[in-house]
Amino acid sequence: MTKIELETGGSVWKLLVAEGDIVEEGQTLFILEVMKMEVPYEAPQSGTVTTLHIAEGDSVAEDDVALEIG
Amino acid sequence: MSWKPEVDEIKRRRELALAQGGVDAVAKQHSQNRLTIRERVDELLDEGTFEELGPVAGTPVYNEAGELVSYDPANFILGFGKVNGRRVIVGGEDFTMRGGSPSPAGLRKSVYAEDLAVQYKVPLVRLHEGSGGSVGGTGGKGSSLPGPVNAPSRFRSVAQAMATVPVATAAMGAVAGLPAGRLVASHFSVMSKSTAQIITAGPAVVERAMGEKKTKDELGGWKVHTKNGTVDNGADDERACIEEIKRFLSYMPDHINQLAPVLACDDPIDRCDASLLDVVPRDRRVAFEMRKVIKAVFDEDSFFEMGKGYGRSQITGLARLNGQTVGVWGNDCKFLAGSMTADGAHKARRFMELCEAFTLPIVTLVDEPGFMIGSQAEKEATIRHGTSAVLTAAMTTVPWAAVMVRRSFGVAQAAHYGPEAYVLAWPSAESGPLPVEGGVAVAFRREIEAAPDPDAKRRELEEMLAAKQSPFPRAEALSVHDLIDPRETRPELCKWLARVQPLLPDLLGPSAFAIRP
Repeated sequence: MTKIELETGGSVWKLLVAEGDIVEEGQTLFILEVMKMEVPYEAPQSGTVTTLHIAEGDSVAEDDVALEIG
Repeated sequence: MSWKPEVDEIKRRRELALAQGGVDAVAKQHSQNRLTIRERVDELLDEGTFEELGPVAGTPVYNEAGELVSYDPANFILGFGKVNGRRVIVGGEDFTMRGGSPSPAGLRKSVYAEDLAVQYKVPLVRLHEGSGGSVGGTGGKGSSLPGPVNAPSRFRSVAQAMATVPVATAAMGAVAGLPAGRLVASHFSVMSKSTAQIITAGPAVVERAMGEKKTKDELGGWKVHTKNGTVDNGADDERACIEEIKRFLSYMPDHINQLAPVLACDDPIDRCDASLLDVVPRDRRVAFEMRKVIKAVFDEDSFFEMGKGYGRSQITGLARLNGQTVGVWGNDCKFLAGSMTADGAHKARRFMELCEAFTLPIVTLVDEPGFMIGSQAEKEATIRHGTSAVLTAAMTTVPWAAVMVRRSFGVAQAAHYGPEAYVLAWPSAESGPLPVEGGVAVAFRREIEAAPDPDAKRRELEEMLAAKQSPFPRAEALSVHDLIDPRETRPELCKWLARVQPLLPDLLGPSAFAIRP
């Protein structure tokens, strides 16, 4: 189980995966908007998105867990 | 009659010193997953290289007949040794005695560490777990004579050490008072996440003075101090701290009159990493990973980042190009768009001072949108800290190479280009007094307001000005040295380094401005 933790706060601009999706290493999972910049988060490993903790438009904080890959 | 009785006594005292605080105190230290100071020294040094200084310094207790009944060794261990074959001075408190609070001989040895490093021109490593004095006095009796008015300043040598030799310090356990001050008076500091806290004063003092109830970890654990810049790095445990210190020292010369060691390099200097062609997205709003650029450009696995948790819009560290140490400084656009914050500027200033002190050429990878703006940034005195970084850059004498990776705006960008910097621009480079997005709204305010669709007008103006950000005019005007294929960055920087390398010996010696904690 790998938790994807946010390195900064911001808002969730685009969510590109859903629970149950199979993802590959390097695939973009979601994009945060931070200070007018789009910050993509990539999958650190291949696997299945087991739990999703964010939705588009959410305000998020540093160290929040965005999703989990099993 | 021979000197056998005295010789036997020397042997006995040496054995007592090795026993540290005794079997029970050592067992307690181990039960809390902490090493003793002698074990820490053994972890750091090459086997069999420790040459202890003042091993029998301590406090004897005699009976009325003048016979020694007990003997407390000094609770600070100090000596010479070698790390990967290179000399160092190492020192640290023995927490198994008096909780690391200095005994008279312990204090003498502790403040001798910096003197030794300056005298012998050898890097200094401190492994701290201890506190400052106690109200009972260093002897615990409260009766020692206060120091004379003409005693030399205890902190002078602390400052001199930083201006003379590399100083690397670890917090291994709780560190407070004087040891905490010396911990941060370092070029590189690291704390053990599992065993260390750094506190100016402990929970009992804080509660008495402020009425604030906090644990040691809440006051000064790694979560506090790796984010506020008190220490450069956090490491999982004591052994990991020692590995970080060894790695830091591997990049450094022994002292300011020596050049950093050059290692054999297996990574070809003409290696062109294909990923650099598209690492920067064409869409100017999309962030990218500057650490991927660093990884692709410098010698394989040679980047040692310092201060990752602090001033995070700026990335600083040491790396190698063709085996030679360089300081590396990039922007991280994932944090506050990579802008120069007050803490980022402080981190950058310390980084530049380190490079200047030890004659390390500086390579910057520039994606600087300018000073951070907004009310929080104003409260943090960003312009003062930022200008401090800009002027530090302007005063350096070491060679600089700057790669304009993306944005280079405002006064803040000047911090990324030292005097006579060799400047290479990528096709994605943009520069000017301020980024288009901010500037258009101000400069064309009336025109935008008068338009039938102000938003569309603003976007049209932004796009028109962004198109003018082509990197070619800068290259045509020789306002950059060259416009390059990003994949050529490593070969071009290696060529630059070979050109400036012969200049380095003349730059050795004391730097014009001192390095500050």
